[in-house]
Amino acid sequence: MPVPERIVLVGYGPVGARFVEELLPLVRDGRAGLTVVGAEAADAYNRVLIAEYAVGHANRDDLEITDTSQALDAGVRLLTGTSVTQVNRSRRTVSLGTGEQLPYDRLVLATGARANVPTLDGVKRLRRDVMMPAADAAALDSAEAPLPRGVTALRDLDDAHTVLAAVQAARRIVVLGAGVLGMEIALAAANAGAEASVVYHGDIPMGRNLDRGGGAVLARNARRAGVTMINHSRAESLLFHQDDDGVARFDALVCADGKQIHGDLLLLSCGVGARRELAHLAGLPVSTGILVDEDLRSWNDPDIYAIGDCAHVAPKPAAGASSALPSGGPSGLVGPGWRQADWLAARFAAEIRGSDSTAGLAPQRSNVVMLKAEGIDVVAAGDIGPEPWDAEGPQAHTGDCPSAPLSVSQWADPEHGRYVKMVTRGGILEGFVCVGMPRTAAELTLLFERGSELPADRSVLLRFDGPDYVPTAGGDAFAPDATVCWCNGVTVGAITDSAGAGNATVACIGAATRAGTGCGGCKTRIGEILTHFAQ
Amino acid sequence: MTPATSTHCPYCALQCAMTLTPDVGGVTVAGRAFPTNRGGLCKKGWTSAELLSSPERILEPMLRQPDGTFAPASWEEALDLVAGRLAAGRAEHGADSVGVFGGGGLTNEKAYQLGKFARLALGSSRIDYNGRFCMSSAAAAGNRAFGLDRGLPFRVEDLGAARTILILGSNVAQTMPPFIAHLDGARKAGGLIVVDPRRTATARLTDDGAGMHIQPTPGSDLVLLLGLINIVISERLVDTDYVARRTVGFDALRRSVGRWWTERVQEHTGVPVWQLRELARRLAEGPGTYILTGRGVEQHADGTDTATAAINLSLILGLVGTEHSGYGTLTGQGNGQGGREHGQKCDQLPGYRKITDPAARAHVAGVWGVHPDSLPGQGLPAVELLAAMGEPGGIRCLLVHGSNVVVSAPNADRVRAGIAALDFLVVCDFFFSETAALADVVLPVTQWAEEEGTMTSLEGRVIRRRRAVDAPAGVRSELWIFRELARRLDAPGVYSANPAEVFDELCRASAGGTADYSGLSYGLLDTDEPAYWPYPAGSTGTPRLFLDRFAHADGLARIVAVQARSTDAPAQVGGTLTLITGRLLEHYQSGTQTRRVAELLTARPEARAQLHPATADRLGIADGGWLELSSERGTVRCRAEASADIRADTVFLPFHFAGDECANLLTDDVTDPISGMPEFKKTTVRVRALQEAGARA
Repeated sequence: MPVPERIVLVGYGPVGARFVEELLPLVRDGRAGLTVVGAEAADAYNRVLIAEYAVGHANRDDLEITDTSQALDAGVRLLTGTSVTQVNRSRRTVSLGTGEQLPYDRLVLATGARANVPTLDGVKRLRRDVMMPAADAAALDSAEAPLPRGVTALRDLDDAHTVLAAVQAARRIVVLGAGVLGMEIALAAANAGAEASVVYHGDIPMGRNLDRGGGAVLARNARRAGVTMINHSRAESLLFHQDDDGVARFDALVCADGKQIHGDLLLLSCGVGARRELAHLAGLPVSTGILVDEDLRSWNDPDIYAIGDCAHVAPKPAAGASSALPSGGPSGLVGPGWRQADWLAARFAAEIRGSDSTAGLAPQRSNVVMLKAEGIDVVAAGDIGPEPWDAEGPQAHTGDCPSAPLSVSQWADPEHGRYVKMVTRGGILEGFVCVGMPRTAAELTLLFERGSELPADRSVLLRFDGPDYVPTAGGDAFAPDATVCWCNGVTVGAITDSAGAGNATVACIGAATRAGTGCGGCKTRIGEILTHFAQ
Repeated sequence: MTPATSTHCPYCALQCAMTLTPDVGGVTVAGRAFPTNRGGLCKKGWTSAELLSSPERILEPMLRQPDGTFAPASWEEALDLVAGRLAAGRAEHGADSVGVFGGGGLTNEKAYQLGKFARLALGSSRIDYNGRFCMSSAAAAGNRAFGLDRGLPFRVEDLGAARTILILGSNVAQTMPPFIAHLDGARKAGGLIVVDPRRTATARLTDDGAGMHIQPTPGSDLVLLLGLINIVISERLVDTDYVARRTVGFDALRRSVGRWWTERVQEHTGVPVWQLRELARRLAEGPGTYILTGRGVEQHADGTDTATAAINLSLILGLVGTEHSGYGTLTGQGNGQGGREHGQKCDQLPGYRKITDPAARAHVAGVWGVHPDSLPGQGLPAVELLAAMGEPGGIRCLLVHGSNVVVSAPNADRVRAGIAALDFLVVCDFFFSETAALADVVLPVTQWAEEEGTMTSLEGRVIRRRRAVDAPAGVRSELWIFRELARRLDAPGVYSANPAEVFDELCRASAGGTADYSGLSYGLLDTDEPAYWPYPAGSTGTPRLFLDRFAHADGLARIVAVQARSTDAPAQVGGTLTLITGRLLEHYQSGTQTRRVAELLTARPEARAQLHPATADRLGIADGGWLELSSERGTVRCRAEASADIRADTVFLPFHFAGDECANLLTDDVTDPISGMPEFKKTTVRVRALQEAGARA
């Protein structure tokens, strides 16, 4: 029996949990010993639903996404509520907050991300310096967030409980930031009866994901849903009032133009940043995340891997190449993280069992962003900047082959809250925005993700959501080729021909053509047809 | 005046009742009152008698000659030859070198006798049947969840009282048309919901406020169902009392669907969030909700898990084993139900017993009068069985009964190559099917109107098939053939050629099994009293199953958490599309019968590949023009039918046609790890227009 490979996973969020599930066969076979260290006390939960949980639309057990007991039964050692203070690469151990030293053969970092706290007068902001000592890095994650009373981010269960209390009291909620999460929470809070406003810098909400048209239609739709949308607003400071116990509590957000937005709760929704301090302190290269190559392996330590929101996948530069850090970074979406978890577990299994190595991790197409809100449909992906009348830029080249020009098709109906933009190259989507047209959005998503060719007549894609959507031009129930009797495949034409030959009753038609002699469900219609053509 | 005979239609599992009256020049067919068809018949039923007097009928045993042609022979000569070759093959290469391939159209008596013949007379474990391509996934899922597999564990007419019926992947309006009368109640209540990548005749029944058509991308059914389960759980629509009292496994299910929140399901299926939510809420609304699955969701390499997900959805809604709601799978072939109960399956003995269960072996061996150790063990499921043809240690002689494998099995060219590598092929059929045409010996057998027997319909009702006319002089029943071969092979056991005697033996063999027929007899069935199995001696049968308990020892249903495997669909550029296959109103299975009925062939003389007008336009294919579909396995050439009824990423081919139009030239023989079901309904193909001239070689 070979000695089990010692695998240590740091982080037990959705991506960590998925990695554990996929690795279980190896653990059960005794080929790997797996220890999981998670900072939060709770089992892994589904952060994607945190906004719904925070407004009471989802319950706590809806967030469960893994069966921890299965992992424990398989022999996984699970240390929740435990922090990792240091990675000792030379000894290949990690130090735990408990003082324990855990040896590893392979270390997987799935430390995730935390909410960004913007610079605001009145909010103490811990400096997110990569050179920060480990103890402070841990403090960043501690349950006692260094935020004033009435101010919260929305990342973990504690944050969600704060928001839920405000929503349940139907309080005024001010959301700073109009990204996906900000919009989701504002729409959900309004839907749940709270008074919600969204304050954001730019012209449109979801500015990173939407173009002007899509953003404008979303803003309009959000206003109709009862959310106050406050754009072009740079938040500068906070005003406080004293609670009964003398502690300062959030009162209003003050913007650069002097405008004050009052509320009972300020929800900071200003994006997330990877938890990469542990890696950086251990001397691993980091940028916006922990830098790993296409095999999810750290650029400079072959025994350390990173997956999920903390990982920045980029090709390792050749020796002597420019030291500039690569662009891009973690996607912030769970789908790509799960793909990484699945793939890495399969790769480990193949390597440890000595079977054929698995294929490389297919590069992720640009991510699809979908707003989760009842009644408001927004989906966007890829490059959505180009406009229909943009001048033809210098022809893009891929290697020696000139690629096809970009083309843009657009449909805007702001009055009815609908907007679609399709950016294609050679008939294939490079990006799209779709607001207020759910079936179209679903189809565009499939087309985009697969890299499939669009119909030349793009308007085909706009008709799915129409009230008249009946794909076949079968509107005329008396058209000669319309089928009347499905059991016997008899058309209107066959019935009228038979009637013309003297069969004047439903029974005669049935005897002559068999129409109506199956389930009998069409007999009424046969009667109608006879009447119609007798006139 | 010749007496009229009450029997049932030869085709699908609805088993519509009909009356046959011989008259000058043939047999007249009339519909007969019966709960499933209420006196009506579809086009196939009305024209079914035409085949009795077809000029193409084989009327004598046919032996292949050295020059490749066939010549008639006497039964004596043919049977001696077959028995001699089988005995020699067994002696030289072992019993497992002889394979047997059965069919879901055989009567219970023939299916039973075929299994017995294979295991006792041939001593071979290598028996399976074409139901592997139909019902195996739903059967495996039903057995796993309920401990028993009866397609509809309720009566067909129960559906009439339902407010909501969800049909997943079945086009009943064309495959068993009289069935749709039972959907009227749900349609009137606005609650017929049809899930299909095509806007089929069945999907159209949801028009005008009768319900909803949901059109997911092919192969995404499992994700769709996991998403529905997620909504039911997160919106608190679970029947918690039922789940607690009657099931185990809910917690694992709850956690397993957490990753399929609704927006993510939309991303994978193409079904918008609002439709998913509306559907889930409607299912939970009651009173009276049925969930029915068909081959569209089951004929996949993850078909068992997909059927399991549909069952899980039904269980958490508290539908199964109640008077007013339920889950069912719509069995396709005429005796697709009975055919999967009595020993044609490679892992099975009569009564739906497991061949690996020592108690089951002892019981059946007792009925057969042999020692349990003389029964072979588990064989190979259909696709593996066919793949073993001509392989070292594989199949060298094959007997085929009621099946046309070179048309109906996946990866048809490989099957054809396997047959070419056989030492000896025997086919029992009425016609020179494409498979019979490759045989060394073809034995002509009786048609439905010429024989006695029993069938078990899609609702588990055992019914009588009765003889209306005499078979042509040179034609024999399979029961007679088994008896004659067994005698020549010095087989242990008794092989009666009398259907009633075989049925009595079947009933004894099934006693105490899951599908217990021991309380049945021809005498009882001839009273036309409804007889639903299990029907143990002393009982009056079981119209509705699971009312008090499920068939597992503890009486509880198993909720088995399943997961969708991630599949990256190919980019649909150029002509790449996803192929799905299916049936037409006018034809049945491989078309061996229906392509020989003039009226049916005239209505649908050839395969047409259905694709969306936008797709056709993009690929330069005209409506009615020639096109070519190809996969890694083969190429099909046929005409196009442009229709906005199909998704733009999908192309549909009917599987009833042969030659260049055979859909299974394209399909893959990869199978479900549990059921052995092939992946029929998600094949990546490349489609291109063909020039009009010389389109077809």
